Amino acid sequence: MTLATPTERSTNTPRGRSPLEGVQPFLVELDRFQGPLDLLLHLIRAQDIDIFDIPIARITRQFQLTIAEGLDDMPLERAGEFLEMAASLVRIKAQLLLPRPEKLEWEEDPRAELVRRLLEYEHFQDVVHVLERAEAQRGRHFGKGYVPDRPAPEGMRPELAVELHDFLEAASRIPEPPPPVRVRAPTRSVTVAEKVSLVRRLFEKAKRIAFERLFEPWGTRAHATAAFLAALELARQQVLRIEQSKPFAPIWLFAGGWVAATRGPNDDAPVSDGEPEAGEASP
Amino acid sequence: MRPEQIVEATLFASQTPLTTSELARADDELTSGIVSEAIQALREAYEAEERSFQIYELGDGYQILSRPEFASYLERFDSVPRSPYLSGAALETLAIVAYRQPIGRIEIEEVRGVGASSVLRTLTDWELVEVVGRGEGLGRPLLYGTTRRFLEHFGLRDLDELPSPEELPVVLSGLEDDAVDAPGDASEAGA
Repeated sequence: MTLATPTERSTNTPRGRSPLEGVQPFLVELDRFQGPLDLLLHLIRAQDIDIFDIPIARITRQFQLTIAEGLDDMPLERAGEFLEMAASLVRIKAQLLLPRPEKLEWEEDPRAELVRRLLEYEHFQDVVHVLERAEAQRGRHFGKGYVPDRPAPEGMRPELAVELHDFLEAASRIPEPPPPVRVRAPTRSVTVAEKVSLVRRLFEKAKRIAFERLFEPWGTRAHATAAFLAALELARQQVLRIEQSKPFAPIWLFAGGWVAATRGPNDDAPVSDGEPEAGEASP
Repeated sequence: MRPEQIVEATLFASQTPLTTSELARADDELTSGIVSEAIQALREAYEAEERSFQIYELGDGYQILSRPEFASYLERFDSVPRSPYLSGAALETLAIVAYRQPIGRIEIEEVRGVGASSVLRTLTDWELVEVVGRGEGLGRPLLYGTTRRFLEHFGLRDLDELPSPEELPVVLSGLEDDAVDAPGDASEAGA
């Protein structure tokens, strides 16, 4: 770390600053600190400075020098937090230098807010010590399961013996990748309204429709999408309800919405083939 | 079977703290009150017999843990990962949440002077803090509070066990030279 020594300071500050405000060589590792308040508090406490009368010029300079060392290696966000504090310190310093009216009130001290924050931060540092202590004490108590299990007896572990031959055989069982899917440009567009009327037509004949029936004969994505939107729309209108027993199971559309289904007994049970799994029909 | 024996067997078999009502589920005859009495009786018995373990109160539950004097022996078996000690940033954030809850992220950041979103995410993942509500301000910010796991991690019975702001200096000066005490149990100090 390169820090300005008092001699350097006296040569390049010809405006005759008070020696008290000069920079004392002060070596600290920035990594140690949680943030700007932590560093500031350290600078103040380590030099036995009265927190209610902080020599802002001196502390600002020390703060700037300390962060200048570590800023380059710091993530941008963290660096920003230190720079923000440096800027506030400079602002307070400037306010202190400005001529003020004769009648000085304590509340007007530009340092007051900073002091409040530092004291609050220090208070929570004390709490941190209490928590650290509690954590260490808790760490000396051990519960069930702490001592590791005895390894299982030899015979109980399945042998894992794979030879190259087994491996190649397993590899040969992997199916060939399917031929690339040929993409067709849609020859005719389909509308949600068409699918809605298809659903209504089908419900005239059956109380239950397999969702696939709405688009499979056409086999295009446009049909599937339109059928899907139509099903959602009709479900919203309580014309039908959509059921699926588990993920990836067939999707069934039942005539009558959830309202109708919950109102009466379960009398609209499916009539066509392909009975869905037991219990699936009741909401 | 006597209630003490049932409670003891249940606590013995458990890896986590159990509340009195959870313990009472072991038998139809048990109530939370009977369980509390049984725990008290067991504690006194362990104390009198100088057992190497005791029933400790963590959060609102009870757990059988080894006594701190035996830590050095047990630590030789330390091949299983234990919950690691928390980082400075995590402790700082927890300290603020513990004393100011419910509290939003912005307020935490104001006290710490640094960002708190990633540390809050970690603490939420570890279930040491949780979202307890939403504030009134702009965007109805999430408010955080400490959890039961927080108490368990620090060996606390409840939040009142943390010193009040006025007591802090006294407690801290006392910490310098005091011996290791049991978590959540002041009654058996000096044993």
